Parts: sequence; structure tokens; C-alpha cells
Amino acid sequence: MAQTYLHPAREQSAALKALKKRRRGGAAPYLFIFPWIFGFLVFTLGPLLFSLVISFFDWPIVGKVTFIGLGNYVEMFTDDPLFWKSLMVTLKFAVLFVPLNIIVALGLAMLLNQKVRGSAIFRTAFYLPSVISGVALAMIWSWVYSGDYGILNYFLSIFGIQGPDWLNDTKWSLVAMVVASLWGQGSMMLIFLAGLKGIPKDLYESASIDGAGKLRQFVSVTVPMITPTILFNLITSIIAAFQQLTLALLLTGGGPMKATYFYAMYMYENAFKYFKMGYSAANAWFMFLIVLTLTFLVFKSSEAWVFYEGEMKRGPQKKPKPAKGGRVG
Amino acid sequence: MKKQVSLIVLAAALMMSLSACGGSGGKAETAGQGGGSGSEKTLRFATWDTGDALKIEQDIAKKFEESHPGTKVQVEAYADGFDQKLAAGFGAANPPDVMYMWDFPTYHQSLEPLDSYADKDKDLNIDDFYKGLFNYGKIDGTLYGIPAGFTTRVVYYNKKLFDEAGVPHPKDGWTWPEFQEMAGKLTDKSKKQYGFGVRAENDTYDLQGFVWSNGSSFISPDGKTIDGYMNSKETAEAIQMFGDMVKNGSAVLTGGKGQQSGDDIFKAGKIAMWESGIWPLESFRQAGVDVGTVEMPAFPGKPVKGVLAESALSIAKDSKQKDLAWEFIKFYVSDASIKMRVADLPVRQSVVTELKKDQDPLYKPYYTMLERSDNTPAFLLNPKWNEVNRQLSAAVESVMHGSNAQDVLNQAVKDSERYMK
Repeated sequence: MAQTYLHPAREQSAALKALKKRRRGGAAPYLFIFPWIFGFLVFTLGPLLFSLVISFFDWPIVGKVTFIGLGNYVEMFTDDPLFWKSLMVTLKFAVLFVPLNIIVALGLAMLLNQKVRGSAIFRTAFYLPSVISGVALAMIWSWVYSGDYGILNYFLSIFGIQGPDWLNDTKWSLVAMVVASLWGQGSMMLIFLAGLKGIPKDLYESASIDGAGKLRQFVSVTVPMITPTILFNLITSIIAAFQQLTLALLLTGGGPMKATYFYAMYMYENAFKYFKMGYSAANAWFMFLIVLTLTFLVFKSSEAWVFYEGEMKRGPQKKPKPAKGGRVG
Repeated sequence: MKKQVSLIVLAAALMMSLSACGGSGGKAETAGQGGGSGSEKTLRFATWDTGDALKIEQDIAKKFEESHPGTKVQVEAYADGFDQKLAAGFGAANPPDVMYMWDFPTYHQSLEPLDSYADKDKDLNIDDFYKGLFNYGKIDGTLYGIPAGFTTRVVYYNKKLFDEAGVPHPKDGWTWPEFQEMAGKLTDKSKKQYGFGVRAENDTYDLQGFVWSNGSSFISPDGKTIDGYMNSKETAEAIQMFGDMVKNGSAVLTGGKGQQSGDDIFKAGKIAMWESGIWPLESFRQAGVDVGTVEMPAFPGKPVKGVLAESALSIAKDSKQKDLAWEFIKFYVSDASIKMRVADLPVRQSVVTELKKDQDPLYKPYYTMLERSDNTPAFLLNPKWNEVNRQLSAAVESVMHGSNAQDVLNQAVKDSERYMK
């Protein structure tokens, strides 16, 4: 026990030392992760399983709880036009939002990847919206979109365009939501930026020696090299699109005429406005299944289009382009 | 090694503090519920009001504390989250002792029946209350709420705008065609001034007055049928009228997302007429609007009907101190407290007579409308009304956005039929 000699607290009893020794590497790590494990079990896994249970019940907050088996699921699919309506709204939103989100985030990341002075300032500026809470973000956008006094319509009026009342117009409110949602995507941009920084310079060098222009470099070097990042961002985007609630709740309240009545909002209202906890839990589990399926499909498809550098070592794979670098270097 | 010990201590301390939090939370709960210690009792009182109305309620609570030493009234202002928080309180068997209440069909199972309290307590002087107010707090003949305040709905008009446009002020006994004609004359697009404001998101409860005035209703008197009521020609006509006014430009949509509320636009002098309960009256006067009130217009040849918005007080069935809660309610509806409540109308006739409120031309229309408010609102007739209303609200909203009332109401009836079985 060389350590004991170095230790200043030599007067401590042998028993205590033994105790300390036994604890060392024993219970301590578990003690440290205990708060998290506790939180996970009590606040995440517990409620998750509980929600599955209550989805088989007619479960009002006030009143009697009755077991109805698959009743909630049957009602949802056969008897509730709002279920289909809100599902369609969410799908429409996802179709618009997910590709745009990835394109804009990638675009911003590429801009930030340029070597210009003050890029750190831009990086901060573009990331800032993600720091703002969803509620504040909704407030800001409700001012921007205001029909009479909004800055957006003021801007359009300079060009002689009479802008619509964005949030109260059934044709525009969903588009307005997509744009507002695109704004808070700093973290996705940062992930792309990290991916871009991870591309070895020599790949670009050799590509340009081979005569590839900027566009060709982007298509043949950048995109293949960041496909793992795209995959990750694609999946998180899909999940985010399906869970969009804050903005709908605060910006439009689902309106006008249910044009932005997202599935998450439908679920939220079933639970906390109409107090149908069981029905809402059934809604939630159906959404979980949708997201799970989509994620699974994206993963499946990724074998065809995602390129991992590690695969190179195991032999020739689909993507030949980055191999160029190897040939020259 | 010392470092490691201190880390373990730290982790243990963290755990201790975590469990300590749980412990103290539990203690606070018992104190709040039972007040068993005897030294000081805490009565929890939940309200949906905010702002000035809440301030008045806190003042009344303070007065109660003064006259009942050893009692503390904890006023819990749930505001917009009233239903969620109240339902959560009932669900967890930890509700406030006394609460504001209007949705008796939803909550009555969790409320204390008050007949026996009201019967044996002569101080309450039930006969002094406006007749009919008690009907709103009864389910199947059992009383669950004591009326604390109410309002009827009237038309507010801006006298200055009427005079500028050379339109004579509206008088009781006017009709909707006259109303629409006036609204047209009072509209001046160049000044962004409109004759009337139509809410983008209407509470269908408030629209019932118009539907009744046109001789229809949302639901049959026995509460079993909506087909032929909610989508009757008369119902559609009453709702279509407002949609048409928005379409022809004599009314502006108000209170949509990012839009100003009708109250604010009226205050700004940009709409000449506005329809509401008594709530905004004080703020109109403070804003310096020369405001007049008039009873609702009639559909030609039909009697005007009004709808009543009432707030009542109830006691939770799970309350551990029901007698104290009842004391508080009695105090809350006493003459002195009612006089403090200027945000709505007094529930006691004696107070109204004393303050001569029914003589004041500004207040008189509320009382004429009260005499016209004897229909039973839909939510009291069918326990599933909330579900039906979800479809109806959507239909009404689309009328205000230009849809044909008859078509969307037919659809709403179709979509609601499953709740009527």
C-alpha cells in the first residue's frame, strides 16, 4: 500500500481504511450513476410502460377507469375523422420540413466552413435561435407573421406585395410553421459542420488536381463523406417533425380551421383538454410505431447510400469517389 | 484516498437531499390539506381569474382571514390552465378545498353536494339571489355550486363613431337587419374602421343566445338529439350572419393568432360595435371610450334570448375541512364581498337595489338580458357535449373563414353522431 505512506491522514483507523478500500471501485460508480438511473426508471421508463397500460383503458382524470381492450385503437382508426386529419397535417409538415431542414442546415454549415474572418461570430449567431426557448421563439414569430403589423408583411409591402395574414390563412399557416421550425436548427448545423471538418483536405486537393470543379467536389467528395451525418440528421429531423407541438400550440393553436392541427397537438388536446388519457396514450403509441417504422426504413435504406470510412478497410464498397484520394496520395 | 471519500460523501449527500425534497414535499401537502396541527388552518381556493378580478378575490380572502383568526386562505390562480390543474388535483385526490366552477357536468362527481349546507344555513338568504342562477349549479336536482357572480351579454357601441357617421344610436328592441345596416354605414375601409368585430375563435356557448333568439338551439331539450337542431335552418342562419358580415367587409375578424382582441380594437376606436359580457366595460371607460350599451338585437318577429355566464363556488368532495370551506363560500357571497366584486354583476337583488345598478342606463341592458336568459345551455343537457362541441367549434370557425354554415353544420352533426348514441 504505497499510497498509504503518501497519504497525510495516517491516524485514521485500520477499519476505516479497510472500508475505504472495499468501497473503492465497488459501489462508488453506481452511486454516481444512481441519480440518472433513478430518473430514467421513474420519469422515463416507468411512465412509458404505464402509458402502454392505460392505452387499453377508458381513463378520464375525473371519473371511473374501465378496461376496454383495444377499444381506443379501434375508435381511432374507424370512428375519428380528426385522427386522420391531424395525421395528414403532420405528414404534410414532415414532407416539407425534413428535406428543407437538412438542406438549410447543410448550407449554413458549408458557409461556416469557409475560411473567413469572424466565422466564429456567424457560428454563434446561427446557433443562437437554438438557445432560445420554444415559447420565446413562438412569440417572435407571431410578431413577424402578424398580418397588419408584422415585419414580414412590411418587408413585402416595400415591393408592393400585399402579404397574407400568415397565421390566419388556411393556405399559408402550415408553410409559416415550416419556416418558423427551420429557424431553430443550430445543433443540426453544428453536427454538419463537424462532419465537414472531418473530411480530409487531401481529398479535395486530389479532386482539384483531377480537374473537378467546386460543384463536382461537392457532389463527389463532400456528400459521400458526410452521408453518416446526413443519416443521423435525417432521423432526428423525422422524429422532430412528428413531435412538433410547441409552435403549433403557441403560434396557431392548430388553426385556422385545423390547417396546422398536428398529430402531437391532437394527442395533447385529447389528454389535457378532453381528459381522455387512455385514448391519448393510444394515439401516442401509434405515433411511436410510425416513427419506429420510418426510422427502421431509413436505416435499411442507408446500406445503399451511406458511406462509412471504416468500410474501406474491409474491401471495395459502392462509393468509388473518395478512393480517388488514395490513388493520388 | 481522501478525495474518494469526499466524493462518496458528496454522492450520499446528493441522495439525501433528493429524498429530503420528497419528504418535505409530503409534509407540505398534509399541512395544506388537513391543517391538523390546530395552530393554523390553510384553506385552498382555486380561481381562473387574473389581473384586477384576481386582485379583488385576494382582497376578499384577506378580509376572511381577518374575521377568522388562525385561518389562512391560499388563493391559487390557475388562469388559462384552470381545467388542467383542477382535473390533475382531483385525479391525485389533492384538490383545492374551494374552487370556481362552471362545468358541473364534467366535475360534479368530485364535488360536495351543497343542498344540506344551504338548507340549514339561514344566513345565506337564498331568496335574495336572482332566480335562475341556481339552475346552472344543479345536476339532476342536486346543488353543487353557489353562484358568486354572473354576466349577460350586450352590444357595446362607440357613441363618437356613431355621431361621426351620422347614425342614430341603437335602442333596445332593434333587429339584426338594422344592426347589419348600421354596421355597413359605420365601416370606413380607408380608416381601417369597421362596424362590428367577429371573433375568429368563438366560444359556441356564447353563440347560443343568437341561436335561441332565432328560435332554435344546438341540442334538443331532452339532450338526446342534435340532428335538426345543431344544423337547423335557423341555427345556420344565425351563424351565417356573422360569416357574411366578415365577407362583405362590415365586420373584421378579431382575436385570431397574432391579431388584436376585439376588446382592444374597440378600445382603439376601430370598431363601432362589439358584443360581450360585462368584463371589458371598466377597461373601455378607462380607455376613454364614450361607450353605450344596448340589449341584443332581435330576429324580426322573434323574442330576443340571452345567455348567462355564471361563476359559482364549489367544495371538493375530498376536502378535509368542508365546514370551513362552507364558511368561506358564505363570506364570499355576502353583501360586503359582492360589493367588492366590480368585475361582474352582483348575484343578490338587495345589492343591486341598494347600488341602484338597474337604474344606471349603462347597466340596465344586462338586467333586461337577464330576464331573457331562461334557456338551458347545451352543456347541461348532454354529458358528452364537450365532444360534440369540438366538432361544432370547428364548424363555426370555418364559417367565419368563409364556409357555408349549413354545409359545415351538417358535417359537424354527422361527425358528432357517434357521441349521441
